[in-house]
Amino acid sequence: MTKPLISVKDLTIRFKTDEGLVTAVEKVSFDIAPGEVLGLVGESGSGKSVTAKALMLLNPDNAVYDPKSSITLNVDDRAIDVLSLGPKDRMIIRGGAVSMIFQEPMASFAPAISIGDQMVEQLLIHSDMTAARAKEISIEMLARVGIPDPAQRFGQYAFEFSGGMRQRAMIAMALSTKPKLLIADEPTTALDVTIQAQVIDLMKDLVSEFHMAILFITHDLGVIAQTVDRVAVMYLGNLVEKGSVRQVLRKPGHPYTRGLMDALPKLDELDKPLTAIKGDIPSPLDRPTGCVFNTRCPVTLGEECESRVPVYTSTEDGHQVACLLAEKEGAPA
Amino acid sequence: MSETLIATDDLSVHFPLRGGKLFGPPPVVRAVEGVSVHIEKGSFFGLVGESGSGKTTFGRALLRAAPITRGSATYSDGDVNYDLPSLKDNDLREYRKRAQLIFQDPYAALSPRMTVRDIIAEPLEVMGLTKTRDETDQRVREIAAKCRINLEHLRRFPHAFSGGQRQRISIARALVSEPRFIVADESVAALDVSIQADVLNLLKSIQLEMGLTFLFISHDLSVVAHICDHVAVMYLGRLVEKAPTRELFAGPRHPYTKALLSAIPSLDPDDHGNVQKLEGEIPSPTNPPPGCKFQTRCRFAIDICRKDEPKLSHLGFEHDVACHRWQELADEPEASLVDPA
Repeated sequence: MTKPLISVKDLTIRFKTDEGLVTAVEKVSFDIAPGEVLGLVGESGSGKSVTAKALMLLNPDNAVYDPKSSITLNVDDRAIDVLSLGPKDRMIIRGGAVSMIFQEPMASFAPAISIGDQMVEQLLIHSDMTAARAKEISIEMLARVGIPDPAQRFGQYAFEFSGGMRQRAMIAMALSTKPKLLIADEPTTALDVTIQAQVIDLMKDLVSEFHMAILFITHDLGVIAQTVDRVAVMYLGNLVEKGSVRQVLRKPGHPYTRGLMDALPKLDELDKPLTAIKGDIPSPLDRPTGCVFNTRCPVTLGEECESRVPVYTSTEDGHQVACLLAEKEGAPA
Repeated sequence: MSETLIATDDLSVHFPLRGGKLFGPPPVVRAVEGVSVHIEKGSFFGLVGESGSGKTTFGRALLRAAPITRGSATYSDGDVNYDLPSLKDNDLREYRKRAQLIFQDPYAALSPRMTVRDIIAEPLEVMGLTKTRDETDQRVREIAAKCRINLEHLRRFPHAFSGGQRQRISIARALVSEPRFIVADESVAALDVSIQADVLNLLKSIQLEMGLTFLFISHDLSVVAHICDHVAVMYLGRLVEKAPTRELFAGPRHPYTKALLSAIPSLDPDDHGNVQKLEGEIPSPTNPPPGCKFQTRCRFAIDICRKDEPKLSHLGFEHDVACHRWQELADEPEASLVDPA
């Protein structure tokens, strides 16, 4: 068994706010192997972005990491304890071994610096190459992600790019330092479907070409089905189900995952009414006791679910579900 | 034969641009160009297309929130008939009671300084629909109950609510003046999946209960397929295809509609679909290509497509398509849509 590229164990993140400590992420554990694509699915407020930002220590200063949490990054035969990195060493995880692309590329580029200068800047920080070589590599990367006329585009600004082109430039920039892990936070959500299909294709090609791992965050199960190897489903800061993409999408074991699948409008089932998950996502200030999903769960066992936090039940092939019902039945249904 | 609530004929919306030559007409953006549709009373009419296709502008033109440059648009609900481009003063105010808009982003659409009750009551007060505060409160409570808003929440401010609850408040505000026609512009796009289904079900039940007519604008074809009776597809300001929902999804005829449908990622990890990837992006409406507007991205484009703009042709079953080659392409086996490369 090869060592995972990154290993997250019992990650618990709370935020200090005026209203007290708010738990955003609770006891989340997952591994990503080199070259693997892990999908992190969840709705707003599920803690998926906070989890991803923790990998690069990008959460704001009021974030408190529980002392039991650990994030270990294995690169070049070194095990890096991410949570204990000092300000100087953070360069390794920010743009070096780990890169990130964001949902809204317009907001992630500096508006008054040309795309090219921004690409060159990070290459100069993360390597000892010359500025001329950095420019060469940047233009190569722009060409690689399918931007026509890259040499001219290099000198342009973010507002001169269309949405799809901006996201391509973002990907080119994130990949030019050859990271081992790419964190993609809703990279296609702001794009039209036809452009989304192009960007997904591009990302798939790049994964095999650069052999890097991706943590792919999205709320779109269709995008997950077409992109990732394994899936982790989050709800209100907890990881409720994880497994291979086929296990989770074909035999969802957690009532929340099943609810998400049923709530999705499907083109081949136009006659089936949409089944909404009842109620609203509770506020993180007011997390339910026991299983976090018990307030909306259609198959709740009542008192038991309100009082006891479920542990993971797993089948032999690694499909894990945190649900008391699954605990009783022995395996994900 | 069902009645038509909204009918447009050759409706165009052009926005003048600054700049251009010193002499001669200023350049214009043709945001909507020659769109003709009939929206039946009591139906859900879907409008789909990518960003920049003009679907929002079309919706706004029907509410007289965007200028109608050319063509006609009429509204007739049995009580009154309006010619939309020439509406003004009193008639325009009357029309606005009957036609309302639900916005996309429930976080931006609600004033943070007003209570939920005041937000919902504002249209009644502005339009002078109620005379006393008691009457206003009564109307607000009725519509809030219909939209499944907890009546105790009426005293709170919007920040206390989640996205789904806020969208229900936006819907209540749009419906409180008892309109007949609603433009829902990407009204579920900002919502989470589990909430989206709930809001869609709510819209559908309210529509049936109040006999409303919806223009439902969305980029999400699966959502449109579920809720709409008719669907029209727009590309670069033009209507390229329209049909009853089932007819359109069972047999799309325009290459653009086919591409849009095949770009929806399948939920089955082993089904990569009959993938027909569209190259490139939607051209800028300030500088549209000649001929068919889709020719720059269409794999089937031939000489005539680059010269003449296709007109809508009727296929029967209320199915219209604007493509020079739809007949030839209809005979092609589906497999030919897959890129051989």
